[in-house]
Amino acid sequence: MSQLASHLNMNGRNTDKSNLDAWLNQATRHLSRDSAAQVRAEIQEHYQSARDAAISNGETPGQADRTAVAALGDAATANCQYRNVLLTSAEARLLREGQWETRAVCSRTWLKSLLVAMPVAALWASAALFLGGQSELGRTLFVGGLTLLVAFGAPMLPIYTPARARVFRRLKYVLLAVTFALVFGTHALDWSWLLACSVWPLFWIEWTRASIRRKIPQARWPKHLYL
Amino acid sequence: MNFKGTLPTLILEALAHEPCHGYRIAQQIKERSRGVLDFKEGTLYPALHKLENEGLVESYEGVEKGRPRRYYRITKSGRKVLSKDRAEWRQLSQAVTVILGEA
Repeated sequence: MSQLASHLNMNGRNTDKSNLDAWLNQATRHLSRDSAAQVRAEIQEHYQSARDAAISNGETPGQADRTAVAALGDAATANCQYRNVLLTSAEARLLREGQWETRAVCSRTWLKSLLVAMPVAALWASAALFLGGQSELGRTLFVGGLTLLVAFGAPMLPIYTPARARVFRRLKYVLLAVTFALVFGTHALDWSWLLACSVWPLFWIEWTRASIRRKIPQARWPKHLYL
Repeated sequence: MNFKGTLPTLILEALAHEPCHGYRIAQQIKERSRGVLDFKEGTLYPALHKLENEGLVESYEGVEKGRPRRYYRITKSGRKVLSKDRAEWRQLSQAVTVILGEA
């Protein structure tokens, strides 16, 4: 009889443990691996304390498990709130890839020199073409040079404070708009569909970076988060 | 009772006296409000992480009854925000009391 009771109790415990696991699975959906591990650790700690308290208040282990899980509330709501404050898997991936890119550029002197030399050469050449009267080709090179300068030169700029970063980002957006205006001239509106398609990934990256900046203290920002 | 938006202030208040772990913070809020402020405990940690991201609290590893626990303590800027929040709350509650008293 006692074996049966113990078995039933065990089954109850397993069900409730799986309740906690189900709660945790839903609460950690789309969170990065580190964030999910952090959530699991803190919620399991909390659950254990709540369960111990319920048992010391006279509840059976099965009831205590249910009380502890119920006290956590709705897992979907918690997931929504966690995603607002902890890194999601997409954000963690962007952070990793950005760090890799910055390291790849900044740790190789020859690559750094090449990436600075390319836009500078393009800008010089565009100036020479403008002076030589070939304004069409000069304009194309100017636009290309500016784009390359923003894309490759940014990691090398002395941008280490949020204020400088904000100024840089505004300049970057203005430069993008100018580039588009220079490329399409008076037909800019006709080509706006192309702009929408090509700029969408950039917007997504900017949006994700802004979200990451809110979630990580400034002292821990890698260089590319400033840009 | 719905106390949406005031949870961060209540957490800072709970941490103003001594560092605590999440479960203790939740219990303090419930006990000090004599059970009036009852909230879902799963929402406590996102609020704690937000406060940590803003530099108002900091966390460290501790041990309680042989179990590793994450403790939270209020920072200097957290205390400043708490005293500002207290003043704002007093002003707000006085204003609401006046209005409800007149009704």
